Amino acid sequence: MGSYKIRKGLDLKLKGAPMPAVANNLDAKFVSIYPPEFTGVKPRLVVKEGDPVKRGGMLFYDKRNEQLKFRAPAGGKIDAIKLGPRRVVTEISIEISGDEELESFNQYSAEDILALPREEVLDQLLETGYLAYLLQRPFSKIADPEVLPKSIFVNGMNTAPFQADIHIAVAGDEAAFQAGLNVLSRLTNGKVHLCLAEHSSHASPAVLNAKNVESHSFSGPHPAGNTSVHIHHIDPIAPGDNVWTARAVDVIQIGKLFLEGVLPATKVVAVGGTGIRETSRQYYRIRVGGGLEHFLEERLSEVPARIISGDALGGTQIGSDERLRFYQSSITAIPKNRERHLLGWLSPGWGQFSASRLFLSTWFRRVEAWDLNTNLNGSHRTMVITGIYDKYLPMKIMVDYLVRAALAHDTDETVKLGILETDPEDFALCSYVCPSKMDIMSIIRKGLTEVEEEGL
Amino acid sequence: MKLLLDQLEKVKPLVQPGGKLEKLYPLYEATDTFLFTPADETGSAPHVRDARDMKRTMITVLIAMIPCVLFGIWKSGHQHNVVNQIAGTTFLDDLIQGSLLVVPIIIVSYAVGGAWETLFAVVRKHEINEGFLVTGMLFPLTLPPTIPLWQVAVGISFGVVIGKEVFGGTGFNVLNPALTARAFIFFSFPKAITGDEVWTSVAADGQLIEGFSGATPLAVVAQNPESVDILNTLQTADYGEGFTWMRLFMGDFGGSIGESSGPACLIGAAILILAGVGSWRIMLSSVVGLAAGAFLMNAVAASGEPGEFIAFTQLPFHYHLVTGGFLFGAIFMATDPVSGAATNKGKWIYGFMIGLLIVLIRVANPAYPEGVMLAILFMNVMAPLIDHFVLQAHIRSREHYLRKFKPHD
Repeated sequence: MGSYKIRKGLDLKLKGAPMPAVANNLDAKFVSIYPPEFTGVKPRLVVKEGDPVKRGGMLFYDKRNEQLKFRAPAGGKIDAIKLGPRRVVTEISIEISGDEELESFNQYSAEDILALPREEVLDQLLETGYLAYLLQRPFSKIADPEVLPKSIFVNGMNTAPFQADIHIAVAGDEAAFQAGLNVLSRLTNGKVHLCLAEHSSHASPAVLNAKNVESHSFSGPHPAGNTSVHIHHIDPIAPGDNVWTARAVDVIQIGKLFLEGVLPATKVVAVGGTGIRETSRQYYRIRVGGGLEHFLEERLSEVPARIISGDALGGTQIGSDERLRFYQSSITAIPKNRERHLLGWLSPGWGQFSASRLFLSTWFRRVEAWDLNTNLNGSHRTMVITGIYDKYLPMKIMVDYLVRAALAHDTDETVKLGILETDPEDFALCSYVCPSKMDIMSIIRKGLTEVEEEGL
Repeated sequence: MKLLLDQLEKVKPLVQPGGKLEKLYPLYEATDTFLFTPADETGSAPHVRDARDMKRTMITVLIAMIPCVLFGIWKSGHQHNVVNQIAGTTFLDDLIQGSLLVVPIIIVSYAVGGAWETLFAVVRKHEINEGFLVTGMLFPLTLPPTIPLWQVAVGISFGVVIGKEVFGGTGFNVLNPALTARAFIFFSFPKAITGDEVWTSVAADGQLIEGFSGATPLAVVAQNPESVDILNTLQTADYGEGFTWMRLFMGDFGGSIGESSGPACLIGAAILILAGVGSWRIMLSSVVGLAAGAFLMNAVAASGEPGEFIAFTQLPFHYHLVTGGFLFGAIFMATDPVSGAATNKGKWIYGFMIGLLIVLIRVANPAYPEGVMLAILFMNVMAPLIDHFVLQAHIRSREHYLRKFKPHD
C-alpha cells in the first residue's frame, strides 16, 4: 500500500465530461472485431462470410501462437469480412440474430479461481482471446504466456480526458471485478498492484476494498493516471524485466468470463466531449463490438466533430459508422476547427487555453473547463531542446534527449535513457505543449519498435 | 480580412508542389501564417494542442527587447545631441535623432538576414523559422550607433550563414548567430566597433563638449593607472558627468545601442522569466559567476601592495554588474535555448562559467576591456560538453534508481 504524490504534468480541463450515470443501449444490429487492433497477431481465419456463429465461436487464431484464439463478441451470421492492402483482414462484421447461441467455457467461482494453477488460467485466456487484455511491458504488446511477469499492474485511474472511470463502470459488476483480480493474482509470483486515484467523487467500495491485490493511491495532474508512471514509482522496469499491465475496466470483462463461463455481451463506455450533445454525455452499457452509427447519430451535436476511440490525448480517430473496438472504453467527440485568425500572434490570448505563461488567460482567467478543438494552433517547426517536455513526464527520464536519440535511431541510447519504461501515451502531454508541434508519440512509438526489432 | 484571405488562397496554387513558383513556398508559408493563424488540424494523437506555438514564443522575446530598443534609440540620439552641444533639444528631438541613427541599422539587419534565411529555407525546402526575428533584432542592439551599414549587412550575413545555416539551420547551430555576427565585425573591422570613437555619434561639423573622450566605462577602468583608486577615476570621467554607479545602471552614456540600460534589460528579464521563455537559471547563475569572479579579483588586489596589480582588479562586483554588456548578454544572449546548455544542471554550470569568464577576460586580458561576447561564445561551444556530462550522470542515476528496486540476491 503506497501513496504517491505526482507533481509534474498538466490536467487538461476539457469541457464535456461524461456524467456519472450508466444508461443501457443494447440495440446494436451488428458487431465487429478489428484484427489489426491486436498488435503482433497474424490472424488465420476459420470462418467465411455467411457462416453462422455463436457468441464465443472462434473467428480466427494467431498464426504465431496457435493457442491464441479470437472469438465472436455476439452470435449470429458472419456478415462481412473486410480486407485491407495485401489481403490483411481489417474487420469481421457479424449480424446479430435474435436468439443468440452461446459457446461455453470453463466456469469458476471466485474462490475456485484462487486455487487454479497458472496453466489453467492461461488456457482459458488464450482460448477466448482475452489474454489480449493483458499487455506486456516493455513494448505494450499482448502478454507472452511463456513469460512469468515480475508483477502485474492494474490501472484504475483516469487522468486523461475522458476515460471510463472504474468506480462508475464497476456498478453491478463488483463480483466480476474481484474475480478478475483473482484471475490476475494467479498469473504472477509477484504482486498484483491496483493503482487508484487518491480522491474519487463516486468511489465504489468494491474498488477501494479490492482483495488479493496491493492497492496504491496516486494524486496529482495527468499523467498521474498512466500505467508507466505507476510502474516507475512502484516497481520500475529495468532492461530484461517483464511486467504485465491491465486496465481495471477490462478486468471486469475477464472476471465475467471466468464467473459465467461465456463471453460477456456488454461493456460500459464513457461518452463525452463537446461534440456530443450535453444531455448525452454520460456512461452507456453497450454491446461489445457494437455498431456506433445509430448510437452516435442521435447523440452528436450540430458542430462538425472528430470522433475518437479513447481519450482526446491518446485516442485514435474513428469514423462515426465504426463499431466499438476491443480495447475501447470511451468515445470522445471534439469539435473540428480550421478557423483562421488575423495576426493571431498579436492577440493577447484571452480566449485561448495554454499551459504556458504566454497568454493573458493563463494569468487572469480561471476557467472551469475549456472547449478545445482539433486546431493545431500553429505549424510545424524544427525541434529545439528546451527541457519543456520534462515538466510533463513525472518519471526519471530526460524527454528531449530520449526524443533526440529516437530520432537518430540510436537504440542503445534510447534504452539507457529509459524508453523501455514508457509507452507512447506517456508523451501525449509533451506533444500537446510542444511549441514546434512535434509528433512525439509517433517518434517514441517508432523508437520502441526499433528497440524491439533489434532485440535487447 | 476576407479579401486578404481570398488573395492568399488565390496565390496558393502557384506555390504548391507543381505550381509555377513552388520553390517560393517557404516565403508564402511565412507570409500566410504571419497574417493568419494556420488552418492546420492535428493529425494523430494528441487530438488537441496547446495554443502556444513558435511564433508566439519568439514574439514574446521580441516584446521583452522593446525597452532596450526604445532606450537605445533615445540614448543614441540624446548622446549625439549632448556631446555635439546641440542646444535646445527636447526628448522628442533625441528620439528623432536616435531613430535616424538606429532604425537604418535594424532595417538592414532584418532585410539582409531575412534574405539569407529565406534563401536557405527555399533551398532546403523547410519553413522559415521565427527565431530569426530575434537574431535580427539582437544583433543591431550589440552594435555602436556609428557602425557603417554595409558592415551591418556583412555581419548579419556571416552570423546567419556561418553561425547558423552551415550547421543545418535553426536548432542545430552551436553558436548564437547574433553574437557570431558581432564577433565577425569585432575581429574583421575592429576600428568600427572598438576603441573610444565609435560609441557616440559625432556630427561632422559638431562642436564637441569639453572633456569628452568617448571612452566607455570599461575602457576608463582599463586605462586607469595601477596606483589610482578606480572609483575616483570613474566618478570624474566622461566630460565631468562621472560614471557613478547610478549612471552606469541607468545607461545614458556612449556604448552599444541596446545594452547599456539596466532598467530596460531588467524589464526584459522580467518578461522572459514571467513568460517562461528565458531561463532564470542561466541569468541567476551568470550573476553568481560574475560575483565569484569579481570577489576573487578583489581579493587578488587586496593581497598585494597598492599598485602591484592592475587597477581593474579593484572594480567591485556591483560595478561589474552594470558596466558593459553584462546584463544584456546574460539576459538575452546566454539564454538562447539552441546555443546554450539545455539541461537544468547544465544551465547552472553554463551560466556560472559565463559570469566567471566575463570577469577574467575583462580584468586579465590586456587587449579587450569587455568580455561578455567572448565569454558567451566560448561557453556556447562548451555547452554540448556540459550537457553530455549531465546526461551521463543522469543515465548513471537512472541505473542506480532501477537497482534500488531489484530484489537482493
